[in-house]
Amino acid sequence: MSAQSYPGRRRTTWVIFIALCVFTFINLTPLIWAVLTSLKDPRDAFTIPPTIIFEPTLKYHIEVWTENDFVFYLMNSLIISAGTVFISVPAGSLAAYALSRIPRRSAGPILSALFTIRMFPHMLLAIPFFVMGTFLNMIDTYPLLILALVAINQPFTIWLMHGFFLEIPRDLDEAAAIDGCSNWQAFRIVILPLARPGMTVAALFSLLLSYNEFLFALILTGTDTKTLPVAIASFGGEDISSWSLSAAGAIGIMLPIVLVMLLLQRHLVRGLTAGAVKG
Amino acid sequence: MAPLTIQQATKSFGGVQVLHGVTIDIDDGEFVVLVGPSGCGKSTLLRLIAGLEDITSGGILIDGKDVSRLHPKDRDIAMVFQSYALYPHMTVAENMGFSLRMRGAKSDEQRRKVGQAAGILDLDALLDRYPRQLSGGQRQRVAMGRAIVRDPKVFLFDEPLSNLDAKLRVQMRSEIRTLHKKLKTTIVYVTHDQIEAMTMADKIVVMRGGHVEQIGSPMTLYDAPANVFVAGFIGSPAMNLLKGRIGADAQSFDLDAGGALQFTSALDARPGQSVILGIRPEDVTLSDNGSPATVKLIEPTGADLHVNLDVAGSDITAVFHERLSLKEGQEVSLELPADCVHLFDAETETRLSA
Repeated sequence: MSAQSYPGRRRTTWVIFIALCVFTFINLTPLIWAVLTSLKDPRDAFTIPPTIIFEPTLKYHIEVWTENDFVFYLMNSLIISAGTVFISVPAGSLAAYALSRIPRRSAGPILSALFTIRMFPHMLLAIPFFVMGTFLNMIDTYPLLILALVAINQPFTIWLMHGFFLEIPRDLDEAAAIDGCSNWQAFRIVILPLARPGMTVAALFSLLLSYNEFLFALILTGTDTKTLPVAIASFGGEDISSWSLSAAGAIGIMLPIVLVMLLLQRHLVRGLTAGAVKG
Repeated sequence: MAPLTIQQATKSFGGVQVLHGVTIDIDDGEFVVLVGPSGCGKSTLLRLIAGLEDITSGGILIDGKDVSRLHPKDRDIAMVFQSYALYPHMTVAENMGFSLRMRGAKSDEQRRKVGQAAGILDLDALLDRYPRQLSGGQRQRVAMGRAIVRDPKVFLFDEPLSNLDAKLRVQMRSEIRTLHKKLKTTIVYVTHDQIEAMTMADKIVVMRGGHVEQIGSPMTLYDAPANVFVAGFIGSPAMNLLKGRIGADAQSFDLDAGGALQFTSALDARPGQSVILGIRPEDVTLSDNGSPATVKLIEPTGADLHVNLDVAGSDITAVFHERLSLKEGQEVSLELPADCVHLFDAETETRLSA
């Protein structure tokens, strides 16, 4: 029981609220800066003190979307992200379900091994992927980058989904078996619908990872499959006059993902907290 | 409806054997309760019958057919789980009709059978609800409805009432019994509650440590327990069990703890024989001229009076149906009728008297 008086509690709430406002502002500052920069003429972008009042222009946003092959790179990014999500989530879910239903002493070492892969520096994994891609003549193709991203994404997906499946009582599998389901039917008809919040979270994280991924995309893609993060990096270079264009590109790259997050945020929050308390 | 036979069933988990050659014959339409303390193997045996665990050796025959290697769906059984195991994303009607759907039954047939089961269980008004919108008792009925709809050869119940409160448990007990009378399907019911076993079963199987201790009707187990374990397990409060020797006149009993008990007539054993003597609390009465005892604790239950007594250093519980004005510390005299005594061999703990 809290011994804190009501005015004391109210003061604590205010302190937390202000702290959160400050924290949010610090986090949003780069974003606000990018938005403002994308609307400014490059000459106003780097004046000190910063120009607060300026004539906004959409010139650089229009330029991003109409020139520089932005849409082409965006399509590449979307194809690779979608491919990664569509392979990673079902494959990870199946593996996680199996791991959740076998004895813990068997599942434990596999989960630990997956965790180790997750800890492994991606840079060290990129090199073997490049070598394998070259050997298989797959450099600058969608499947290579998709498979590489699936591989680095699997540990997270499996761990996340494993937690969700563990919370689904095994009695349901058994009831389904008695009701006439094969193992696959029990998974598809009974278990999978219950794991939907988890799959939404896994899909969103998979999407974020693959859409924003830079290192593998830089090494494994070329002119045909270059993704937005790699392309954006080359938009401005070191030429300060192109920073407005780069900022507009950064806003452009964020838009699809922000839209998806806004649409699915309800599922995301519920998915991340589901099972935190016994229902 | 079908007879069920379990032949020398064994089950091991790794190196640990949890069932040791269990053999049980269950007649067509019989209500059999598997009862025993936690870890006795009763739930494992039920899961073997359901096909949720693989049998290590032995056989399980349903309607004369060996099903011990068949998938659960091919055994024609239905099971009610302790947790109910209702599908949370399906409505009551969908839950109840799920097994029919999986068998490819037409939607008309599904609706008809679900409707019939809902009628039997008084669930008609709840068919469109989800499990989370139901009370514990309603969920329990839906779980039973799901089993009924299948019209299986054997119903399996795995401690289905243990999540309910005491009042609802009593109500559901009689509902399940009524349902059995109506459907006349063979039922195997697992519980650790001996009251449930006594009130519901046609036949009780008492288990301990993976062995069957005794099989019989509730009153057979109550009147003639085969050993000390069954004697102590069946009946509430539990039977008083005292170690000692039959006295020289066969009418007294010398307790190992010291002192002696006097009986109304001769005990059915030879004088000097080492035995475990059992007497049910409800068979102990007060008299003017019997074994002296001291009242230690009085527990009125409303209907009865449970009294804990000290008799020559040993504890004896007595149940009186009359409202006696006893006080703790009071000296009383107990009448112990010899014809109500159960005698067990001190070594083997098996029953001596008939």
